Amino acid sequence: MSLGRPVVIEARGLGKIYGIDRAPIAALKDISFAVEEGSFVSLVGPSGCGKSTLLQILAGLVPSTTGEVLVDGVAVRQPAPEKISVMFQEATLLPWKRVSDNVEFPLEILGMKAGERRQRAAAMLSLVGLSEFTERYPHELSGGMRQRVSIARALAPDPRIMLMDEPFGALDEQTRIKMGHELLRIWEKTGKTIFFITHSLTEALFLADIVLVMSHRPGQIVGTIKTDLPRPRTYEIIGSAEFGATRNRIWKLISQDDREVNGKGMASL
Amino acid sequence: MTIRRGLMILIVLGLWEAVRRFDLVSPLLLASPTEICGALVKSWFEYVVALRLTVTEILIALAFAWTIGIGAGMIAGLRPLLSETTGPLLSSLFAVPLIGWYPLFMVWFGIGITSKIVYAIVSGFFPIAINTMNGIGALDHQYLLFGKAIGCSRRQIVFRILLPMAMPSIVSGLRIGTGLVVIGVIVAEMLASLGGIGYLISYYRSIYATDHVYLGILLALGCAFAANCGLSLVERRFTSWRVMQIEER
Repeated sequence: MSLGRPVVIEARGLGKIYGIDRAPIAALKDISFAVEEGSFVSLVGPSGCGKSTLLQILAGLVPSTTGEVLVDGVAVRQPAPEKISVMFQEATLLPWKRVSDNVEFPLEILGMKAGERRQRAAAMLSLVGLSEFTERYPHELSGGMRQRVSIARALAPDPRIMLMDEPFGALDEQTRIKMGHELLRIWEKTGKTIFFITHSLTEALFLADIVLVMSHRPGQIVGTIKTDLPRPRTYEIIGSAEFGATRNRIWKLISQDDREVNGKGMASL
Repeated sequence: MTIRRGLMILIVLGLWEAVRRFDLVSPLLLASPTEICGALVKSWFEYVVALRLTVTEILIALAFAWTIGIGAGMIAGLRPLLSETTGPLLSSLFAVPLIGWYPLFMVWFGIGITSKIVYAIVSGFFPIAINTMNGIGALDHQYLLFGKAIGCSRRQIVFRILLPMAMPSIVSGLRIGTGLVVIGVIVAEMLASLGGIGYLISYYRSIYATDHVYLGILLALGCAFAANCGLSLVERRFTSWRVMQIEER
C-alpha cells in the first residue's frame, strides 16, 4: 500500500525463532512491509504476537533469524542512534538525572559538545511543552509528562525514524488520548517517520496513515489498511461512521485469525 | 533538641558513674566512665597502636569486600543463568555461621593481619554480592534496550545506567556488609591474634581488668560508628534521588 513517497524502512521476509536447540518457538514468520518517508504507520495485534520483537529487530537491537531490515537501502545490523530512536512502554528515564540531563543523555553518548546538547535539549523540551520543568526530577512528574520527556529525548538526536513500542500503554485513557494528539502535533511539526506499536485498535487507527495488522504467534502481517481519514485528526473523528467501519475491518482480521488458531489448536488435540 | 539529647547523655553518664561510686555493682561486672577514662590515660599508647592496627585491617577488608562483592554481584546479576544457579548458593552460604571457619583461616593465613582481613572480607562479601545481584536482576529489561538503542557500549550500559539504577539496593548491601566487616575484624582479633582492639578486649578480660574491657568495647563501637558515617556519605552522594522519591510517596 503506497502513499507515493520514498521508502525509508523496508522489512524483507523477517522471521524470528527463539530457542533453536530445545523446542523452537516461531515468534515471527515471513514479515514484509515498507514504511514511507514521513508517514505514520501503526502496527496492531494481540498481546504476545511478537510486536515488540519485530520492533527490536527493526531497531537493530536483536537479530532476526531470517530476512533483513533495510533503512535507506542499508541493512540494519546494530542500533543506529543518530538515525533511529526507540521509545518504550516505560519512559525509561534515569531517575537520578534532572529532566534536561535526561534529554541530553543520548546526545552525550553520541559525543556532542555540552553547549550544543544544552541548546537541543531546551528546544526539544519546549517542543513537548515542558520548558518549565527542565530542572525537575522524573519522580516529580506525572506519567504523561514522563512520556513527553521520553519523546523529547527520542527527538533530541534528530533521528529520521522513531520506533515506538506501546509508549502510551501504561497511561490512563484520558492521558492516552491527549498524548495521541500531542504526538500527532509533534509529528506534523517535525516530519519524522513514525512506526507505532499498540494493541488498541482505536489508537492505531486514530494516529496512523497505514495500519499493519498482525496475527497470533507466529506473528504475521494479515492485513494492511490505509486509513484515509482527514488530518489534522480530532477526537470527534473516532465517532464517525468511516472510523467505525475501518475499525471493524481491523477487528475482523484479528478475530478471524483467532478462530483459525483455535480451530487448529482443537484439531491438534 | 540537641540540648535535650546532651542532657540525656549527661544523666545516663551520671547514673552510670553513681552506680559504681556507691559500689552497687561489683567492679568485675561494670567499670564507671571515670575508671574507663583512667584506663585510657594510663595505657593510651597501647590503645593507639591497637586502634591503628584494627583500623588498617578494617579499611583493607572494606576495600576488598566492597569491590569484590559489587563486582561479583554485578556479573551474576547481568547473567540471568548465572544468578539462577549462584543465587541460592550465595544465600545459603551467607546463612552459614562463618565463625566456624575461622580456625581454618588461621591455619591457612596464620594469626597475623592476613587471616583477620580475609575473614572480614568473607563476612562482608555475601550481603554485598547478594544485594548487588538482586538489584541488577530486578531492573526493567527496557533500560537495557534503551541503553543499546542510544548506542551505549556494554561498559556504558553497566556504569552509566544499570549500576546507578541498582545503587539503592547495592547501598543497603554495603550497609549490612560494612557492619559485618567491622565485627569480623574485632571477633577474629579476639579469637587469636597479637594485637588490635579485639585482642586487647580478650586479653584484659582474661586478667579481669574490666575497665580496659569496657574501653575496648567503646573503641570497637567507635570503629563501627565511623564506618557507618563513611557509608552515609556514599549513600547521600549516590542515592539522594531515591530518598526524595520515597519522601514523595
